[in-house]
Amino acid sequence: MQALRTAATGMSAQQLNVEVISNNIANMNTVGFKRQRAEFQDLLYQSLERAGTQSSDQGTVVPTGVQIGGGVKAGSTYRITTQGTATRTDNRYDVAIQGRGYLQVLLPSGETAYTRAGNLALNDQGQMVTEDGYLVQPQVTVPQDAVDITISKTGQVQATKEGVAAPEVVGQLELANFINEAGLEAIGDNLFMQSGSSGEPITGNPGATGFGTLLQGYTEASNVDAVSEITALIVAQRAYEMNSKVITTADEMLQAANQVKS
Amino acid sequence: MDNTLYVSLSRQMTLRREMDIIANNIANADTTGFKVENLMVRTEPARPAHMSDGPNPVKFVLDDGVARDFTQGSMRATGAAFDLGIEGKGFFKVDTAAGDRFTRDGRFTLSPEGKLTTQDGDAVQGESGEIILDPAKGPVAIAQDGTISQAGEKVGKVGVFLFDDRSVLAKDRGNLLKNTSNAEPNPDTASRVRQGMLEGSNVNPILQITRMIEVSRAYESVVRTIENTADLSKRAVERLGRVA
Repeated sequence: MQALRTAATGMSAQQLNVEVISNNIANMNTVGFKRQRAEFQDLLYQSLERAGTQSSDQGTVVPTGVQIGGGVKAGSTYRITTQGTATRTDNRYDVAIQGRGYLQVLLPSGETAYTRAGNLALNDQGQMVTEDGYLVQPQVTVPQDAVDITISKTGQVQATKEGVAAPEVVGQLELANFINEAGLEAIGDNLFMQSGSSGEPITGNPGATGFGTLLQGYTEASNVDAVSEITALIVAQRAYEMNSKVITTADEMLQAANQVKS
Repeated sequence: MDNTLYVSLSRQMTLRREMDIIANNIANADTTGFKVENLMVRTEPARPAHMSDGPNPVKFVLDDGVARDFTQGSMRATGAAFDLGIEGKGFFKVDTAAGDRFTRDGRFTLSPEGKLTTQDGDAVQGESGEIILDPAKGPVAIAQDGTISQAGEKVGKVGVFLFDDRSVLAKDRGNLLKNTSNAEPNPDTASRVRQGMLEGSNVNPILQITRMIEVSRAYESVVRTIENTADLSKRAVERLGRVA
């Protein structure tokens, strides 16, 4: 019976939905996290009587036909890249990106990754690194004798030294943009890699046309909305239950058929 | 005598098919832009059965078609810039490898070239062909008539199309509908496009579960009829065959 298999596709789709929602909830407090959404599509239809075929030699046509769907499939998980709220941290190496753009990070493998998580720090050589110690590109080195550091909206990093009135420019942070940022491939640790569907990175200074600005002393919170995630979880759970009801009913029908004996 | 069996069988077949359709509705209760379907059945009169007391009409039940209910699904806010929901009767037009398709599923995205596409990468059709956007120009705003603007400047328009007769549309996979007739759709001016919203499926779960119970009970009673008929012929053979 098709109904059994159809309900099974419904159950596995809802299972994926719950997995995506639980990942969103688990990352509610992850800096720069973007919520995801499971995308559903209906499956192939089996046409038992095709719409538009002639039903007589008088030229009458079948208006709707009989089409039976095969259930649902989880097409993809789509990342919703809306802005998260900026949270004050007072850490002078923290930057929140307001608007479009990703910080570029040099992975130990030599590849470039992209991130919205601006909770940066210094390593033992005074270089700006992510929380995993990966170098931020282009490299910014803060001199040892700097007493204070300022990161402007446009990404200019200035160090104030003791006894010197004018701050010294020590580096410039850059952002990278993608035509389709939802197409970036997440590799964990708040990092993304360029993929075939994201397009090539376009780099520029923060504040330039099409790029966001930086906000020092803040980090970007995740854009997960707890209430809507919990609501989605309830819907997914009930949908799962309904599909299991379909399986029970289809099973009962098959049972009834099996009991016909004379 | 066997007519009872055959008529019951025809009902069982349609019930099973109806169950398949209900299962598909429930599986897609959370699919964006999905439209609920019902099986329509018709009576098919067959040649009268000749019995000792004259001809008796026999009517089979056959599936006649699938009625697709195009009522508006509920809108939910997602906040994503390229999520579009249609309020009204129109459809988006999508250019796929297999030809033009229509959809109410407005979960669009940008291709690496900046083309507005569906999640499967098929180009969404605007007023005149594909829609190319440059996200660097600023936030994308889509007005209720489908006009796309960036920084106050019109950059394109999402096409919404209307069919005089929506029953010419047949379902294709991936939330897409296929035009099975030669009738060309007209641009729809009455429907409103909502940015950051998606149209949910219009499946009413309570209704579907109730119908499922109905189908399952009807199936059981048909099984009972078949059992009774079989019992009848069994007893007839036993009694009539007995030599006095």
